[in-house]
Amino acid sequence: MMMSVGTVWLAEAGGLFDLDATLPLMAIQFLVLVAVLNAVFYKPLLRVVDEREEYIRSNQAQAKELQAKAAQLTRQYDQELAVARREAQKTLNAAQEQAKQESQAQIRVAQQAAQAQIAQAQADLAAQQAQALAQLEPQVQSLGEAILAKLLV
Amino acid sequence: MVWMWHGLLGAPLASLEVGEHLYWELGNLKIHGQVFITSWIVMALLIGASLLGTRNAQRVPQGWQNFMEYVLDFVRTLTRNQLGEKEYRAWLPFVGTLFLFIFTCNWTGILVPWKLIELPAGELAASTNDINTTAALALLTSLAYFYAGFSRKGLLGYFKGYLYPSPIMLPFKIIEDFTKPLSLSFRLFGNILADELVVGVLVLLVPVLLPVPLMVLGLFLSGIQALIFATLASTYIAEALEDHEHEEEAEIA
Repeated sequence: MMMSVGTVWLAEAGGLFDLDATLPLMAIQFLVLVAVLNAVFYKPLLRVVDEREEYIRSNQAQAKELQAKAAQLTRQYDQELAVARREAQKTLNAAQEQAKQESQAQIRVAQQAAQAQIAQAQADLAAQQAQALAQLEPQVQSLGEAILAKLLV
Repeated sequence: MVWMWHGLLGAPLASLEVGEHLYWELGNLKIHGQVFITSWIVMALLIGASLLGTRNAQRVPQGWQNFMEYVLDFVRTLTRNQLGEKEYRAWLPFVGTLFLFIFTCNWTGILVPWKLIELPAGELAASTNDINTTAALALLTSLAYFYAGFSRKGLLGYFKGYLYPSPIMLPFKIIEDFTKPLSLSFRLFGNILADELVVGVLVLLVPVLLPVPLMVLGLFLSGIQALIFATLASTYIAEALEDHEHEEEAEIA
């Protein structure tokens, strides 16, 4: 039953190294397989993969563009915001300045009016004093004379 | 040519056949039937898997398409690594199919219990355990790299490359043209056949459990063999495509 290995290798027709028409037929068959797989495997799948890569690349480019745009808009917004802030500050300062000036002017006017009233009042007072003194003058005269008469009697 | 091992019950538990073929007559040509039967099954598997994966190919891959894209990516990377971004597309079908065919042959040879199917003569096994198959693939590889060289540099231009980097290399380069297909075919054939024989012999001796680690090793080895064959084929093609004249210019510059 058991045969030695040696006899196996070079036995009758056939054996391990039995080259025959299997070789060229297998080669042709393999080339056919290459052609068929090229048609049903490599070409369609490569096309899909390429399309996908193209899609991803274009999407990526688009996304990058959008990102750049967004960054630019942010920058612009920041700039505009800064300008608006500065302007608001300026307006506020101006308003404050104006209000201060106006209030000072009004204070000045009020002070002047008060001063005028005070002067008027003082003048009136002086006039009344003079008038009173003038009225009292004759009485003082007569009273003096009466006192003198009394004393001299 | 049959080794039989009769178990304690007298029933043959396993047998081993080497160098027996199921001959088919084709005109006056003889061919090995068992090799073709398994190769057809392998080809049907490959084509079927491809059709299943690309029948409704989507931009967002689904189901089987994922796997086929993984396979494509694998062979694409393999080819691109050897041939470069510019050249690999044209050679991808050839190199990729080399890998897929050999790999599927080897793995089905181990994973599918072919031997349970009775044939009038010989036995079903991986197609790559027949020297005819491996020699066919190796010779196709030779033709491929000759074609690559001729179509790129012309007949004379290609053989001028044999004098590069020095004319001393000429005999070695000529010998290489013969050793390349020889080593390709014998390496694959020898590895697959040897693995099958080792597993077979072990099954004869200890029919349970012990052969399993060797079968796992066989899976690993046959994957490596497919990879080696495809990588070497693409390397040879890349070598034939190499532009020595421009290289020299580049070196001077």
